[in-house]
Amino acid sequence: MFHSTLTTFLLVVPLAVLTYAFDTFSEELLLKPLGNDHLYAHFQFATKWDTDPEQESFRHTHMFPRALGEIVARYNVQELHVSLTAGLWMYETWGYPIMDAAPGAELWVWFKEDTENVDKNWKELASSLSGLLCASLNFIDKTNSINPEYTFKPRGAVSSPTINSTFVRYSSLPREIVCTENLTPLKKLLPCEAKQGLGSLLNAGHIYNTRYHSMAIHMRPICRDSSCESVSLELQQSVSLVYDLLILEAKHWSFRKLFGQGVIGRCVLAETATIYVDTTNNESVPFQLKPDPDEYVTSFRGGYVHTYAKYDVQSYVMSLNANYLGKNKVVLNSPPAIYANQYITGYGQERGGIVTTIYNNHWSPLDVVFLQNIPWYVPIYLHTLKIDAGGVRIEPTRIHYIPGRQRERPYHLEVLVKLPARSITSLSIDFDYVFLKWQEYPPDANHGFYIGSAVVSTILPLARNYTGLPQDGSTISDSFNASRSGYLVQMRTESTVITLPTPDFSMPYNVICLACTVVALAFGPLHNITTKRLILIVKDNEHFIVKLKNKVVGIWTRRTSE
Amino acid sequence: MKQLTIILCFSVIFLSSLHQNRAQLEFELPKNGHTNNWAVLVDTSRFWFNYRHVANVLSIYRSVKRLGIPDSQIILMIADDMACNPRNPRPATVFNNANQHINVYGDDVEVDYRGYEVTVENFVRLLTGRLPPGTPRSKQLITDEGSNVLIYLTGHGGDGFLKFQDSEEITSQEMADALEQMWQKQRYHELFFMIDTCQAASMYERFYSPNILAVGSSLVGEDSLSHHVDPAIGVYIIDRYTYHALDFLESIDEHTNKTMGEFLSVCPKRVCISTVGVRRDLFRRNPFEVPITDFFGSVRPVEVITQVAPQPEVLNKTRYQVTSTPKKHRYVPPLVNFNSLV
Repeated sequence: MFHSTLTTFLLVVPLAVLTYAFDTFSEELLLKPLGNDHLYAHFQFATKWDTDPEQESFRHTHMFPRALGEIVARYNVQELHVSLTAGLWMYETWGYPIMDAAPGAELWVWFKEDTENVDKNWKELASSLSGLLCASLNFIDKTNSINPEYTFKPRGAVSSPTINSTFVRYSSLPREIVCTENLTPLKKLLPCEAKQGLGSLLNAGHIYNTRYHSMAIHMRPICRDSSCESVSLELQQSVSLVYDLLILEAKHWSFRKLFGQGVIGRCVLAETATIYVDTTNNESVPFQLKPDPDEYVTSFRGGYVHTYAKYDVQSYVMSLNANYLGKNKVVLNSPPAIYANQYITGYGQERGGIVTTIYNNHWSPLDVVFLQNIPWYVPIYLHTLKIDAGGVRIEPTRIHYIPGRQRERPYHLEVLVKLPARSITSLSIDFDYVFLKWQEYPPDANHGFYIGSAVVSTILPLARNYTGLPQDGSTISDSFNASRSGYLVQMRTESTVITLPTPDFSMPYNVICLACTVVALAFGPLHNITTKRLILIVKDNEHFIVKLKNKVVGIWTRRTSE
Repeated sequence: MKQLTIILCFSVIFLSSLHQNRAQLEFELPKNGHTNNWAVLVDTSRFWFNYRHVANVLSIYRSVKRLGIPDSQIILMIADDMACNPRNPRPATVFNNANQHINVYGDDVEVDYRGYEVTVENFVRLLTGRLPPGTPRSKQLITDEGSNVLIYLTGHGGDGFLKFQDSEEITSQEMADALEQMWQKQRYHELFFMIDTCQAASMYERFYSPNILAVGSSLVGEDSLSHHVDPAIGVYIIDRYTYHALDFLESIDEHTNKTMGEFLSVCPKRVCISTVGVRRDLFRRNPFEVPITDFFGSVRPVEVITQVAPQPEVLNKTRYQVTSTPKKHRYVPPLVNFNSLV
């Protein structure tokens, strides 16, 4: 008996170990000074699971969060990208982030090609994610979603020879707020939660006083090896923060100042746990790191050299300080190759326009894909689309336009355009302001209505100011020495607010009051005039005695006459 | 084969021991049929000047969570974001007190319905369980005939109604009918209805379903008043009734002997200024004999089973025998090549 139990045990245990070896988890933190007065902190948590996404049931997971896996399996999702962001990434001064994200909530998903009803799955997926992330993603449905033709290609590995864009959906909720209630569920999806490892730095009290904060979940299949005959499932969870050093009231920073505490040990489930500090500008603006880094890493990428101080997260409480040395020097900001702004033009409440200005600082022309998802209550006119660079009209290479329909689908505009070298191109389109039905106005209608960010995508030939991850990489360390033929950026512009003609909701009440007053005032005199007769009474100045006598005589005569 | 018999053997032992323990458990269950606890906490007010209503609802959230109701059984509805509001000088916090005694928002909070989702329709749908397909579990009230439910509402109200976000309102009759529907669908065992608003008592006047204990912060014709202002925030930060209720709840833990009767008298008129109204004619038990944890906590008789043999995990064995056929995969270029279009 004992012997056979032992054999069972021996047979089962190595198997369990084998299954557990199928997934790896790594966590990284990159700290990068942005210009003189900002500090960028990016947390990258990557889980790689060697399983076949086609056949995985997600009934049993190890490091991969099962709560997310169930949703992915249920709605037949191939790729999932969701981000929750507050604030705007300032491309002009900060360069490019590791992951682009639009203000508010943004969700784009590729469904598997055997999905029957994509719209239904999309709606219910968004609803499920709203429960998972405590965000109002359930407001996403087909009335505010588009399927981009050119902008959002599958980021992961695909097996089919053609890409069918009917299986992708994109939507954004620019008004969505982001707070601790969204961070809490994100932390719970991490293998070590916030108890150990870099997750312990995510303290709500210290990360919501930042200029920009963004949290994102990206899930996709990736090639398991170079032959790419089988795929693994990759999950990237990230938190990006941009601290304003003026708010922190000192140029010197430390973990305690940034996050409230040091790293509490090392997440035992993590294969690698690393902290990188970008020291590329250390010669012009020197700062001293304490403790000394384990090593310095140099990365040559796309013609640019970056150096990073590297720390392995230790099993004890770990902190990091940076002290700036010498006088305050001003770093000259060299704007990146391309960035964009968006704003509203026009006045009054009848007609307006949306203008997107794209700055190309590069010495050669750039191919740009511009995507705009415009809500149905902002009807745009395609014939007013004007693209000009410095007064010269530019013909777009291609326009993909699906007109919106009121209460059914948004306006989907994708413009492929070649920007001239060193140019400022503006892309403008006119729209009408429309009335909504009175129950369609939100409780705070006077706040205005949001138009989501435009997405401006391009492939940069050089990696200046570029920190993004390569398509075949999951971690920050994968982006070191990752020279490629091009570097994808997908910039999000500002989301804009327009004031739709909003009725005065107290109007019915006012009308009733006014009407009642008018009626009451008019009714009294009219009633008097129509029902009463005016009789002239002769005014008498007779004596009381005479009056009495006349009355008595009057009564007497009346009696006798009757 | 031999292994299989052993596993079977194990599972038989396991099941039989489980069966025994379950029989014991049933015997020890409370006779009144209460098995689980749920809480529905609603703030119906939007806009920064209604900061205090968010603080109210978070106070109760904090307390029920502390006393043992898990987040999965708390439905928290907050109509506006105060913690990360740009006007809040201390981001990601909501305090109950100008001296910042308690951060009722905390570091671990899950808001289930927020912003524009807080509507009368969603609230009534949540209570009655008539939700659209695809509604996540965290947005459902999955109660049964053994559930004790705490409903807490705060916002601006009047005689017979409670406003939702300044744009719509729920009337006392609608509220009563929703609860009756809950009762008919066996969605609660006992219900504690608590409301902090002006003329609060008018909201529970129309109730006609059994097993409801109701308390309101003010009688009909009375205003509910706020407690104090925080000059740093610039608005009133909490209402009197909830402030004192939180004060009371902070002093207890899940092993407390305090009763609902004591809780109903937390705010006498001299501190609340309004008269706290209580309705107990629908409630069968004497509130002074009902432990407060029947509604605010989740205390259940638990028996620790020690004689259970761990079952070896054999599921993985079959699962990982599924091998996928190798298929050629590739990465597609992230952006279209313009030269290929022309």
